[in-house]
Amino acid sequence: MSKSDITTLAISERLSSQLVDLLRHLRHFLAVAEELHFGRAAARLHMSQPPLSQSIRRLERELGVRLFDRDARHVALTDAGRQILTEARGLLAGEDRVRALAGRFRRGEAGSLRAGVPPDLGGRAVAALLPAFRRRSPVELKLREIGTAEQLRALADRSLDVGVLRFPFDVSWLALGPVLTSPLGVLLPQDHPLATAPDVRLADLNGLALVLFPRATAPALHDEVLTTCARHGYTPTEVHQAGNPEFALGLVLAGGAVALHDGVTPPPGVVWRPLRGTPLLWQTSAAWPRDRRTPAVTAFADAVTEVLTAQGMRHAEGTLPRYPRPAAEYLS
Amino acid sequence: MTAARVRAAFADAGVTGTLHAVDLDHPDRELSVGADDPVVLASVFKIPLLVALHHSDHDLTRRTTLDLDRSTGPTGIGGMLDPVTISLRDLAYLAVTVSDNAAADALVDLIGLDAVNDTLDRLRLERTRIVHRARDFMRTMAEDAAPDAPPSALTDPVVLSRLRALDPDQTNRGTARDLTTLLRHVWQHDDCAPIRRAMALQVWPHRLASGFPFDDVRVAGKTGTLPTVRNEIGVVEYPDGGRYAVAVFTRSASTAFTVPRADAVVGTAARLAVEHLRLSGRPPRTR
Repeated sequence: MSKSDITTLAISERLSSQLVDLLRHLRHFLAVAEELHFGRAAARLHMSQPPLSQSIRRLERELGVRLFDRDARHVALTDAGRQILTEARGLLAGEDRVRALAGRFRRGEAGSLRAGVPPDLGGRAVAALLPAFRRRSPVELKLREIGTAEQLRALADRSLDVGVLRFPFDVSWLALGPVLTSPLGVLLPQDHPLATAPDVRLADLNGLALVLFPRATAPALHDEVLTTCARHGYTPTEVHQAGNPEFALGLVLAGGAVALHDGVTPPPGVVWRPLRGTPLLWQTSAAWPRDRRTPAVTAFADAVTEVLTAQGMRHAEGTLPRYPRPAAEYLS
Repeated sequence: MTAARVRAAFADAGVTGTLHAVDLDHPDRELSVGADDPVVLASVFKIPLLVALHHSDHDLTRRTTLDLDRSTGPTGIGGMLDPVTISLRDLAYLAVTVSDNAAADALVDLIGLDAVNDTLDRLRLERTRIVHRARDFMRTMAEDAAPDAPPSALTDPVVLSRLRALDPDQTNRGTARDLTTLLRHVWQHDDCAPIRRAMALQVWPHRLASGFPFDDVRVAGKTGTLPTVRNEIGVVEYPDGGRYAVAVFTRSASTAFTVPRADAVVGTAARLAVEHLRLSGRPPRTR
């Protein structure tokens, strides 16, 4: 911590303790003004009388004006005391409201949550997400439809509180909800010989082009898909980059190409077939910066898990065998 | 301009990264891409270790025996089956050329982590700290991955998000700028000549060296690798005498062990940076 930080801290601590002191003295003043009796006021405040009298004297000194006329038998408000009493009631009610509001934020019952969802999440999932969140949290949910790369930037610059991200992405600064997977199949033209098979092996697709999302939108995922295709014996004759689902559909309908699809409401005019052994998966999870977990973030992550599971996504299962090469340097 | 191209190259390879490059003979010519951001060093820590060793009073021809309780790894003595008796300077050679964890940890056990950090203090590299031996970050990875077991667990993003070994605050750390400053020292100081030799003999071709597929250009480097972490620091020397220290630290989105593009972009980014330094050193063209 730098020197200037320490100075700022000291000043703000002093200020805050003075403020709290004034409010405390005003609370004592309010009790005495209402009881017009130091003994009864002290009992109401659960304190003894001498510190209460001292507190009132300090408040009078602080304000530079007498608040009470006292003699051995009577306590009465002065003119100044009567008028200050009205203002003090307002201040103390304000303090109560400030503390109550802060408490609601602290418990995650107030404010809003800015959440990102991927464009291809689907209308039904978005529609289910709002009530699923509302059941779990009273804060307002502000949903934005943005892709994984943009969500990462928004989480980093704090314009987003939580996101729904498609893997892979750099997790080094994020906390993750449960990872959910949806197995991918392929969209084929209706007259393709494979369209009647119960499932399709990736290797059966040789000779066909592959329609995939534009590489620039998610380079790591793009490369992982092609690596997995190669691993399972499929090297596409060409990779068409289609940003728009309609364009992807057009390329499939024209013949000579397949597109990947999760099989949830496949478009009309083509046939969806699962891939044998589910070699390709979309993996999705809620994610938020590690140091910014709040009850609302937890509620959102739980709602995402509920909605996507209802939509057929599954919890990620055990991973494949992995054999690091010597260049990994740290594993033998 | 060049910094933007480096960032674009990182993004295209599915990584985020930091870089610092500096002309060894004109240190005012430099390129920074997040050069002061804290990064995980991984095996790059073996260079500060060797600098401390070569400034120590140890007789580097002295022979020592590494028994079977030594650290393990896929390469060098770390992967061998029997006790090995070897000189300190050959341990240093193995620690750099094949990133031998057993050799490096034996040297740390000899000189101590404090000596390494004292050396860094003397070089005013206060943002670089060595707190772990190779076996320590292996141990924390196994502890943090539990109950899942390496190696498969180390490709699970949920496991990776809880590894201390990937958090600069909790493991060996530095900055790209600190590491090029260290390389400048290694390339200036006579005591460090054996480190220069070992870095030039490093076997890995896939990162820094891949960016300079030119037979007349020499690349000396030291890699650092952990799950999603692919680093290399080194010096690139051109036949016209140009010498450039480069430090590149990356984190990949993909958690796979084998990601050739992520390795190669370390070289691509370094070449963009070195080309920038070489152009900025050239006198303006006259008509």
